[in-house]
Amino acid sequence: MKTTLQRAAAAVLFTLGCNSTPAPGAPAPAPVTPAVDAGAVAPRSTEITPTPVTAIPGHELIPQDRAPKEPPRLMPAETLIRSYISLFGGLSPQALQVRLRGATSDNLFDTWGDYLSALGVPDYGVDIPRAPQTNALMLAAFERIGVALCERAVQNDLRGAVAVTDRVLFRFELPAGARALTDEEFATRFDLLHRRVLGYPAALAPDSRVPRFRALYQGAVARHADAGARSFNGPEAGWASVCEGLVRHPEFHLY
Amino acid sequence: MRWIHAMSAAALVVGASAVARPAEAAPTREQYRLFRALSIDLQGRIPLPDEIAAFERPGFDLDAWIDQRLQGPAYAERLRRVYLDALRLEVGSMFNFVSNPLVLRRARLVDPDGNPAYVYYRRSQRRDRVESDLDFCLSPDETGVTITGNGQVSGTARPIDRAVWEARTVEVRPWWLYRDYRSASPSQRITAGDGSAMVLSPVAALLTNADTTPTTTVRVCREEAQTAARGAVYLSGRLTALPRTEPYPGGRVTAPPVDSAYARAHVGEMVSCTSGTGVSLSDDCGCGVGLERCMPGTSLGNDPAAFNLPDNVPLGADQPLDSRSQTQGDWSRFWWAQEAVHFLDDLFARDRDVRGLLNDRGTMVNGATAQFYRSFAGSTCCGNGTQFNYPEPTALFDPARVPADLTPHDLATWRRVDDRGPQAAGLLTTPIFLAKYGTRRARAHIVYNAFLCRQFVAENIALTPSTEPNLMVRSGCAACHATLEPLSAYFTRVSESGWTFLPAASFPVLNPACATRGGNSPNGGCTSFYDPAFGTAAQGMLRGAYGSTEHADEGPAGLARAVVDTPEFASCVAQNVSESFLGRSLTAEDQGLQETLVTALRTNGFRMRPLVRALVRADAYRNANNLASGAWREGSTP
Repeated sequence: MKTTLQRAAAAVLFTLGCNSTPAPGAPAPAPVTPAVDAGAVAPRSTEITPTPVTAIPGHELIPQDRAPKEPPRLMPAETLIRSYISLFGGLSPQALQVRLRGATSDNLFDTWGDYLSALGVPDYGVDIPRAPQTNALMLAAFERIGVALCERAVQNDLRGAVAVTDRVLFRFELPAGARALTDEEFATRFDLLHRRVLGYPAALAPDSRVPRFRALYQGAVARHADAGARSFNGPEAGWASVCEGLVRHPEFHLY
Repeated sequence: MRWIHAMSAAALVVGASAVARPAEAAPTREQYRLFRALSIDLQGRIPLPDEIAAFERPGFDLDAWIDQRLQGPAYAERLRRVYLDALRLEVGSMFNFVSNPLVLRRARLVDPDGNPAYVYYRRSQRRDRVESDLDFCLSPDETGVTITGNGQVSGTARPIDRAVWEARTVEVRPWWLYRDYRSASPSQRITAGDGSAMVLSPVAALLTNADTTPTTTVRVCREEAQTAARGAVYLSGRLTALPRTEPYPGGRVTAPPVDSAYARAHVGEMVSCTSGTGVSLSDDCGCGVGLERCMPGTSLGNDPAAFNLPDNVPLGADQPLDSRSQTQGDWSRFWWAQEAVHFLDDLFARDRDVRGLLNDRGTMVNGATAQFYRSFAGSTCCGNGTQFNYPEPTALFDPARVPADLTPHDLATWRRVDDRGPQAAGLLTTPIFLAKYGTRRARAHIVYNAFLCRQFVAENIALTPSTEPNLMVRSGCAACHATLEPLSAYFTRVSESGWTFLPAASFPVLNPACATRGGNSPNGGCTSFYDPAFGTAAQGMLRGAYGSTEHADEGPAGLARAVVDTPEFASCVAQNVSESFLGRSLTAEDQGLQETLVTALRTNGFRMRPLVRALVRADAYRNANNLASGAWREGSTP
């Protein structure tokens, strides 16, 4: 563990440039012997003066990113709920809640009211402000709601005898006989979901996007190969996993 | 001025012109991202597939798309959120709105036929019988039960004599059961609500009689069923309280009221039946046609259940997330908040002058708020105001200007009233603002904070013991209060935790009638309104006016004028909106953006659309979430 003195020395050295290694030919910095006071940062030596980074040998032409760094914005909670509703069939919030709770006792979803605080919805009546950033509880709520939404969408779209055009989310056919999807077939279907949830073609996403979701899909398919009739079969579980991955993706919640 | 590295500046040029991509070029990832951000901010949701498809088509005109979205309700909602986040205009149950002149509670009795029956009454009702004046209309001797002031019931109900029953109570078809309650023979009984706040939905207990049959009429004390708008001041002839040496008349448990000095001096004069004072003075005052001047309750409790309402309406009252039985107080609190929502929506959707937030004399009303302004708001007036010859309120919202055709059933109908009256001032005189910010100082502070973007921050000062009542000079307080007290003085004439206006004619700022007497406080009526700490032997000082007597007379409208005339108002509008859209605080580097937005606001008559249009086209918005080093190094357009 570094001592306070070491940290102070490192801080002073950091002001010289990117690291503490002197540039070839440059004069060696004078030894720094700050006045040590418990926890106090040493005063800067008068011999050390600020130097433009381009004056450091070897840095003359290296571009420097000095743009202000700003975090992504968090989608407002109201917009998030409305987007969930839009994604999963455009029902009224209470009708969607009924669908999410389902007829079974799988406890996938409680009530909207149980999640509002975690989602960051402000409660003006008791002066709880809007949550401007994510937190652990919020991520857990994203997870819970995402799972509920996607599982119910699979039940509605892929398990029910619903025409492709009437489906709420999975507007594509699955191969007959549960045949495994080729990479191309997966990519085509994934692109539909990617566009719908994240708003742009998967082809424009980072190169790893499709392979990683393909692996996610295949893993779920493999784990559900021997599923009983009450559980999702392989493709159903695979698409549920892909859906959950997308609606919990940082690109979905941030903008 | 924001500094942009030369290398990224070139890329920014590309980003700034992302809208006008070549006709045949497919959108870039950044252009998709921008489109999604615009959809989130201007449509309130992520884009739909057909919208993305339209965006991808060659020649898509994003500017035109933006302009179209700036006309929509989601845009207004987006801006409304900016100001509701700042003002937080909702109150919880901690703001207890239980006005006895309004609340009809119900007692469970036994009718002449031996069946259980409810009888509705209000606690503050004057009656011409000593057995029941300011009490339940049927005495304990007549019913077998005693009802205390706090709703406790004792005794065993027995069948009431039919003649007494018919003489003291009457059947009514009330407003909460009949849409056409104002007609001679109401027949349009409501059905159960749909769970939204758009349909009047009494709780189940209000729809069921004591014998479990569906309610078609309610039985109410005869005095409460009176419909006159004004009543004569009643004099009972009782000058002193009855001693508790023998049972009170009729078995009542509280002493019959005695006549007040005001009643003795004004007997026979007509008073308004919508003011609390009127109800407490006249036995002619009832709840009006169909009991529309009163709220129903399902019990004898302090704040009884009344209507089903949502707890959570983040998507709007028409799309509630839930619905449950709530109290009569919740009903008013809910609709006060909705008035602010619709006031803001109307202002932004119609692109009215944003200074109207503070100085617009108009507002939006629906059936519930119309009923409140017409019949409920005056119920909290006037208490000790009678000592200042003020038995009827000068309303912040003149009831005569409330649309007469709006009934409590018109919950989904919001209509603009262009002029509430001379005292009205934007949000500052709405019940939700005055309830949320109960004190003069709280009201001034939130205006200072939300509309001037300034905060009171005490310097590094020492608080020393002091008896100085003037906080503008007291050591340790003056740093903030030298500014705050003159601002809070604008609210001198609006009662704290309420909306009762105190007109200068009855309540001069300096009142010789409330002079301190030999260093002692003046009488109780004076201390309700006049502050002994600032009174002299010559005159009393109206509470809150010591910061500025001029401001006290200008009222909230004066504060509105003062604030919107400052240069900080426009820059604060720009700051509030841009910080919300950018998702971060503005910094010194954003000064150029802020100045651009202020110019857009000022040169367009303080309309918000040009400001928002400029904002979503600004680099700061387009770059808002893509300035991380990683994204830049990957070669993305920042």
